[in-house]
Amino acid sequence: KAVVIDGYPAKAMWVDEFSNFFIPQVNERLAKTNNYKIDWQESYGGTIVKPKGVLDGIKLGLGDIGIVTTVFHNSKLPSQSLAAVTPFVSVDARVVAKAMDEITKEFPTMEKEFSKQKQVYLATGVVLNTYQIFSKERIESIKDLEGGKVAGAGIILRYLDGINNAAGVRGGLTDFYNMLSTGLVDHAMLWPEAAKTFKIAEVAPFMLKADLGAVNSKTVTANSRFWKKLPDEVKQVIQEVAVEYRDHIAEIAMDRAQESLDAYIAAGGTVVTMSQEARKEWADSMPNLAAEWAAGLDKKGEPGTEMLRAYMGKLTAAGFTPARDWAAGLK
Amino acid sequence: MSPIEIGVVSVIAIIVLVYLGLYIPVALGVVSFVSIWLMRDDFELSMNLLKIAVGDSVMEYTFATVPLFTFMGLIVSKAGMGADIYEVMNSGFKKVKGGIGMATVGANAVFAAVTGSSIASASVFAKVSVPEMLKYDYNPRFAVGVVAGSSVLGMIIPPSAMLIIYSFVAEQSVGEMFLAGVVPGVLLAIAYIAAIWLMGKFTPNYVGGKPATEYEWMSFKEIFSKTAPLVTLITVVLGGIYTGWMTPVEAGAAGAAVGLIIAIVRRKINLKIFWEALIETGHITASILFLITAASIYSRMLGLAGLPNELAVILEQNQMSFMMIMVIYVCLMLFLGTLLDTASIILIVVPLFLPLIEPMGLSLVWFGIITVIGAEIGLLTPPLGISCFVIKASVDDDRISLKDVFMGALPFAFVMLIVLILLINYPVLSIGILH
Amino acid sequence: MSNILVQGTNKLSRIANVTAIIANTVGTLMVLCLVIVVDYDVIARGAFNKPFGGAVEVVQFTMVLIVFLQLPDVVRVNRLTRSDGFLAIMQPRFPNIAMWVRRFIDSVSAILMTLIAIAIWPEFVEMFETKDYFGVPGVFVAPWWPIKLVIFLSASLCALIFILKVILAATNIKLIRMDEMKDKAVPSGEKI
Ligand code: NA
Ligand code: NA
Repeated sequence: KAVVIDGYPAKAMWVDEFSNFFIPQVNERLAKTNNYKIDWQESYGGTIVKPKGVLDGIKLGLGDIGIVTTVFHNSKLPSQSLAAVTPFVSVDARVVAKAMDEITKEFPTMEKEFSKQKQVYLATGVVLNTYQIFSKERIESIKDLEGGKVAGAGIILRYLDGINNAAGVRGGLTDFYNMLSTGLVDHAMLWPEAAKTFKIAEVAPFMLKADLGAVNSKTVTANSRFWKKLPDEVKQVIQEVAVEYRDHIAEIAMDRAQESLDAYIAAGGTVVTMSQEARKEWADSMPNLAAEWAAGLDKKGEPGTEMLRAYMGKLTAAGFTPARDWAAGLK
Repeated sequence: MSPIEIGVVSVIAIIVLVYLGLYIPVALGVVSFVSIWLMRDDFELSMNLLKIAVGDSVMEYTFATVPLFTFMGLIVSKAGMGADIYEVMNSGFKKVKGGIGMATVGANAVFAAVTGSSIASASVFAKVSVPEMLKYDYNPRFAVGVVAGSSVLGMIIPPSAMLIIYSFVAEQSVGEMFLAGVVPGVLLAIAYIAAIWLMGKFTPNYVGGKPATEYEWMSFKEIFSKTAPLVTLITVVLGGIYTGWMTPVEAGAAGAAVGLIIAIVRRKINLKIFWEALIETGHITASILFLITAASIYSRMLGLAGLPNELAVILEQNQMSFMMIMVIYVCLMLFLGTLLDTASIILIVVPLFLPLIEPMGLSLVWFGIITVIGAEIGLLTPPLGISCFVIKASVDDDRISLKDVFMGALPFAFVMLIVLILLINYPVLSIGILH
Repeated sequence: MSNILVQGTNKLSRIANVTAIIANTVGTLMVLCLVIVVDYDVIARGAFNKPFGGAVEVVQFTMVLIVFLQLPDVVRVNRLTRSDGFLAIMQPRFPNIAMWVRRFIDSVSAILMTLIAIAIWPEFVEMFETKDYFGVPGVFVAPWWPIKLVIFLSASLCALIFILKVILAATNIKLIRMDEMKDKAVPSGEKI
């Protein structure tokens, strides 16, 4: 028996795919040899934990497998923000997911962080391809963001740190529509799918295609005690499926992003593509978040700098040219 | 034991313990603790559940609305704004049979827009409106009944502590819940006024009262000075939320500050009153949030037992009709309402029924309105009806017994039930405003 | 012998009550702090384009302080939500049974509070050692450990007050002064 938990409702894309892709796939493969069978109990949407509580829930054994939203746990899972501190590199969710997954497996740091929380890392989930800027007025560069108010959440608010007098306003996804419509903020940092869901085109008809980059935000983990008890055959099947799940949801994220962008335009939105120079200007204006991040890990005796370098290497090897080389100048 | 059996046994255990007089949060916590322990044969898991629930639940940002709106409500009552609005309403309704009663309902509806609890409404209007009605020879039973009945408006018309609590359990937006509460609240107020009019028409003796001999229209200046503060507050709070300028938390803080400024300007407040309001706010917050924490332990226990999953299966197999579920739901709330307070009822029944309602594709905002109104009927029903208790204590008149208050409130509880049925049948009344 | 015990218990009870009242006062100030912080953020954002990045974390922090600093006092003055219709009926007819039911209730409550304290303690130790925080690094962060510590102390004090209620129920010493309740809104479940 395995209890799967997430604080998000069953209709959330990654939860839905867990139900309709991950679990059936595991069942199917186990059925082939017919040695084992898992009896799944799926408890989503706050029945056992809230979105922020998945990490602790798995740690404390309230669930056996869970989808941890890592952005809530900067403190316990610092290395998970690697993709978030390296903006302007890649908008391909598949590539970012794969790179993150490989970094996790090549370096012990990330798995160590999870094992400290008494859980085993299974897969990385990238559910959004890139943040863009949605505005009330047409904008083209960070000059236009100066002195403005920008809605956002979490670490991406720091992308504004180098912009003159731009203020980041924190808000939940559901608040962004109202914040824009009342003029509480002038811009919002969102990804296209969220923009479609919350009808952002009505209040912010201009999208600056800044391509800030895909960010990993979900990680599938299993409780260590539960994991240890599983037969090797089952472990192997789950790990295989986890990798496929990783690619599967990244694929869906890409499809959805494209559909959502089309819907945004259909709803009256205009897309302005940010020039490479303007992107570079923005990237250069930021403090080196990645270096800060690496230094933080290095200080703890973890190979932060190497992870950063390896990550940038992987994305470059996949054919992406970063607007700023975040690993440059690191020793 | 199957999840269903554990669910049923634990609910029965909780009800028995609560009726015995055990603190409600303690009952929820202990029963959940023991249930998990027995179910999984794992003491540590039970401890872990406590660990995760106790810190987690209180840390919710939107819960800051509880102290903020409570504080605002207390300051507003102490500044005499409830009495003011009542006087204005009264000058308009005096001529009609049962007019003071209607004025009370109207004033309550307006006052409800700045207070988050029925208790504040009940105590304010018991003091200003009951003596006035007695002065004009109204039937005492009718007088206290009107106040009791209309006090529930305080928790239906936003802001409302109960809508906040529901939005937490069901994970709905507080702003949407508030918006959805407006029409049902106004509808209930209208239904009360209509009921009073009918009573005056068909059972004039029950209503009692003599026509006012001397009454004069208030001057516009007077009306303005009595309503302006309240209108300002309502604009700040509800306007702030609905336009999106402020989150409900921020609106609560702004309302508290504006209320305080008004009270200071009108010299209706001193340090002692201010401090009392703060302490009172803290006590109410602590007891409500501790109750919520305990209820979250309980709902997580049900989740861990797999009850929501089982219920969904049962629903699928038995093809239980929507009406059937609603009848059971309302009856359960009425039953619990005899002894429990509104928040406890919401926290006990919602986790049980949410898994049934959600798959049916019904609006959870609508369900919240149904739940809050259904649970609030309990405020008026014996043996434990908080609103009636507060009124009895606030009126402090030996001619009026607790029984009178309950009997007087009964017709209004009945009107609530009718409105509730209406809201169940026509969801558009609550959620129509959202689209 | 028993006299000394009673005296000791009374003294302990006084200490517990005073502690609860002090904690309550601090918690009360937190309500004020909450109002100020949120209003400051609204004004700073609206008028000066400088929102306070830590508003959410500070609000969460103060909520924990409000609830857990005031909880012991809520327990002390018997305002924890309950439905005592049954006890009210029993009291005049069977005062003895009512007393034992009360003791049972307070014992169960003491046990739950003790369990909460035991559950939270290791969390506090862990958070204190790892210095874990919540919030967004570079924007605003707040440490976890004070929160866990407050919950631990609060649950312990509540447990102690409940235990004292169990003991003192027999000697019929009134723990609660109802004077503070006069002429006030009555919270849910309050006996009148
Ligand atoms: Na209200
Ligand atoms: Na009742």
